[in-house]
Amino acid sequence: MERAVPLAVPLGQTEVFQALQRLHMTIFSQSVSPCGKFLAAGNNYGQIAIFSLSSALSSEAKEESKKPVVTFQAHDGPVYSMVSTDRHLLSAGDGEVKAWLWAEMLKKGCKELWRRQPPYRTSLEVPEINALLLVPKENSLILAGGDCQLHTMDLETGTFTRVLRGHTDYIHCLALRERSPEVLSGGEDGAVRLWDLRTAKEVQTIEVYKHECSRPHNGRWIGCLATDSDWMVCGGGPALTLWHLRSSTPTTIFPIRAPQKHVTFYQDLILSAGQGRCVNQWQLSGELKAQVPGSSPGLLSLSLNQQPAAPECKVLTAAGNSCRVDVFTNLGYRAFSLSF
Amino acid sequence: MSSESSKKRKPKVIRSDGAPAEGKRNRSDTEQEGKYYSEEAEVDLRDPGRDYELYKYTCQELQRLMAEIQDLKSRGGKDVAIEIEERRIQSCVHFMTLKKLNRLAHIRLKKGRDQTHEAKQKVDAYHLQLQNLLYEVMHLQKEITKCLEFKSKHEEIDLVSLEEFYKEAPPDISKAEVTMGDPHQQTLARLDWELEQRKRLAEKYRECLSNKEKILKEIEVKKEYLSSLQPRLNSIMQASLPVQEYLFMPFDQAHKQYETARHLPPPLYVLFVQATAYGQACAHMKSSQPPRQDKTLSVAIEGSVDEAKALFKPPEDSQDDESDSDAEEEQTTRRRPTLGVQLDDKRKEMLKRHPLSVMLDLKCKDDSVLHLTFYYLMNLNIMTVKAKVTTAMELITPISAGDLLSPDSVLSCLYPGDHGKKTPNPANQYQFDKVGILTLSDYVLELGHPYLWVQKLGGLHFPKEQPQQTVIADHSLSASHMETTMKLLKTRVQSRLALHKQFASLEHGIVPVTSDCQYLFPAKVVSRLVKWVTVAHEDYMELHFTKDIVDAGLAGDTNLYYMALIERGTAKLQAAVVLNPGYSSIPPVFQLCLNWKGEKTNSNDDNIRAMEGEVNVCYKELCGPWPSHQLLTNQLQRLCVLLDVYLETESHDDSVEGPKEFPQEKMCLRLFRGPSRMKPFKYNHPQGFFSHR
Repeated sequence: MERAVPLAVPLGQTEVFQALQRLHMTIFSQSVSPCGKFLAAGNNYGQIAIFSLSSALSSEAKEESKKPVVTFQAHDGPVYSMVSTDRHLLSAGDGEVKAWLWAEMLKKGCKELWRRQPPYRTSLEVPEINALLLVPKENSLILAGGDCQLHTMDLETGTFTRVLRGHTDYIHCLALRERSPEVLSGGEDGAVRLWDLRTAKEVQTIEVYKHECSRPHNGRWIGCLATDSDWMVCGGGPALTLWHLRSSTPTTIFPIRAPQKHVTFYQDLILSAGQGRCVNQWQLSGELKAQVPGSSPGLLSLSLNQQPAAPECKVLTAAGNSCRVDVFTNLGYRAFSLSF
Repeated sequence: MSSESSKKRKPKVIRSDGAPAEGKRNRSDTEQEGKYYSEEAEVDLRDPGRDYELYKYTCQELQRLMAEIQDLKSRGGKDVAIEIEERRIQSCVHFMTLKKLNRLAHIRLKKGRDQTHEAKQKVDAYHLQLQNLLYEVMHLQKEITKCLEFKSKHEEIDLVSLEEFYKEAPPDISKAEVTMGDPHQQTLARLDWELEQRKRLAEKYRECLSNKEKILKEIEVKKEYLSSLQPRLNSIMQASLPVQEYLFMPFDQAHKQYETARHLPPPLYVLFVQATAYGQACAHMKSSQPPRQDKTLSVAIEGSVDEAKALFKPPEDSQDDESDSDAEEEQTTRRRPTLGVQLDDKRKEMLKRHPLSVMLDLKCKDDSVLHLTFYYLMNLNIMTVKAKVTTAMELITPISAGDLLSPDSVLSCLYPGDHGKKTPNPANQYQFDKVGILTLSDYVLELGHPYLWVQKLGGLHFPKEQPQQTVIADHSLSASHMETTMKLLKTRVQSRLALHKQFASLEHGIVPVTSDCQYLFPAKVVSRLVKWVTVAHEDYMELHFTKDIVDAGLAGDTNLYYMALIERGTAKLQAAVVLNPGYSSIPPVFQLCLNWKGEKTNSNDDNIRAMEGEVNVCYKELCGPWPSHQLLTNQLQRLCVLLDVYLETESHDDSVEGPKEFPQEKMCLRLFRGPSRMKPFKYNHPQGFFSHR
């Protein structure tokens, strides 16, 4: 178990402030570079840190290689979401999406390539962006968050093309159906909505809290969402549940009490993480295959590095309510933590 | 025969008229002289050998005559008588001869004796003469050896070398031609030269003496002049005192202080000079204001100057020390000391302070004064400080404020990590090992704290990387630290006093938000502080929700620890507070534990974590007006507000019947935001609504 060793020397003003900042840091988002060798992580202070996975995983890794290669202030507010295209890193949080060139980011003093703000209706408070989703087929980006809408942005021109309205509260998460151009979104209102990108219409609504998986004391909100062909898994206030989309019925309710904040399909498993230290691995049948403890008291994001360019860096990373990003070299074991 | 007969006759004659002849002689000696027959003279003429023959013959004749007489007698007859007669006459003659011979023999003997005596006397005289001569010889020999052994004084005189002599001496003294070959003459000449030189030097000496005399006299005169000046100056000084006082220029006092300061050890002296200089500089900066007597910084020297003077005499001192230690040893041996007693004495000696100390009084704006007393530990070469705070008004000491103003901790960690419990001089550890002192911290209460900044103020610097042999008090080091340190000290006292005041109300459940910080909080705050107590460091460490702080190294033992309890309805929020001694530049750190519908801490509730972040990380907006002494109060008030927000925005469980325990009274734009569903903790002042950060 890796622990921050209590420091013997009492600290000065800046050190105390830095220690407190690290202590109250939350890493909301992660994204692996297209080359597969770097990992970007964004925290609640609006900073993005780039870690070198290859050097941290190499045999002669030192303590320093688990520190970020570079850290920069990207946003004013928390960085809630990040995705990588084959050249750019897109980050969003406080109502804006910014693009960074992966090639330039490792240098100091990196400036964003561009920034865009979706057209918001309210002016009192800038709504946050909670989720970003790339649609490779039409080279566009879908943004969703505080204004309860999905915005699609053409990456070629940088213009916002569509607005999908329907949610009654803010949107937590997005998922793309691979075969048909359909997008799933889950939000605070407790509904998972299925959108057809061609018609820009809502095609299906699943009100999760109305089914047996609901847990009223936790709230209705859907915190995480993942989909694979006809299957969809979602969790949050209601229990983590596997749904059959065509019939809109829950098939498996996973027996975990803590609200889940991230879920993903991996081979024939479902990986989920949320409150609690562990990364959970589920069989589709609902059996808990394994619980692998991490170093953070709560996890918010999981990232599987499956870039074919860097097979040696094929790892699972998990981050959440701490300044550490846990790295799992295989699914059953936490090898080490990268740290801000 | 005829001669014989004549000889025989002569004595006969003498005999026959012996008496008459004597008589005659008496009558006229001169008359008788020529006639006097001297038998002595006869002796010289006669040969003793013949006399001996004569004697033998006479004796034989007598024997024969006696034998004949006897023969005759024995035959008897008439004619015999004649023959006997005849023979008798012959015998008588022979007897006479014998008598004569006897006399002669006597005279001869006498003569012989006289001669022998005479000769003996002669011999004696000679012998005596010989003795005298021998004695004289011996004496002379002694004299000679004495002379030989005689050491001349000139040998002891260190003469100039030969070459120098011939070079420098005038020729009438050196006389090279005479002295070159004759060492005796040479020596004499050299001695002459020496004498000459000495005479000259003596002359010079006398001159110098007279010169000295003259100068002495001059000095005497000048001294007299000066001493006559002193009373005059004194009188002028006396006269000027009221003027000084009137103009607030205490030159006189300062002068006295400087006099004493000369006896300070170097580090204290550096401190004294620099602190005085800084104090004066501060006073000058404020010279635009009318002159004030109450300076912000006043420096004074305390202690016995005499003792310090005694220390200044090094040889005496060392002797004293030796004798002291001897005496100590004697004492200790007398009472058969255990090892411990000896060590105790040694420890005391090692931790000895210099008799003089420097007092620094630092006055803050609110008339509270920080009294600092600086000491110098002579044998350890470090400085220590004792602090005391006096306030203008009497303070009611709250229970939880126990350590805030205590002399032991009031200056702790003035600079980060400077807790003043370890000696800053690395060399001391070895000294401690010798006398069995484990750490200095056991003695700190008595000696004062050896903070690093104290050493720096005294100009002492102990680099850790390259230990130096001797550490010398350095003015520039002291000067460079003086201002910052003084400011820190002032800030420290003010922040402590401010905390003190805040604690007094906190203990009564009142969060004393000042009017100039009121804008940070909404007008209506329902949650109330109900408890504010100190907790021990160990207890804090054992709390289940403070592990993160402990792991992050923020819970050192130099900090102060408190526990606050905030209540609203059934909800109870415990807050464990770490108060860094560097308050308020280093903020108090809060860890929360909410008891409401189960126990919620930062590990199972993101919003509790966010609340902690609000007070711990975003403390800067809570500082209020500089110097932000109200931070703690504001943080606590903020916690109350946060708790209100937390409780009021908690989503209502539809399945539970009845009204919400905490109806939402706060104005919020949105209830939740972001992936971790944060509540709107940020308060927007003039509008009075809550939003997300």
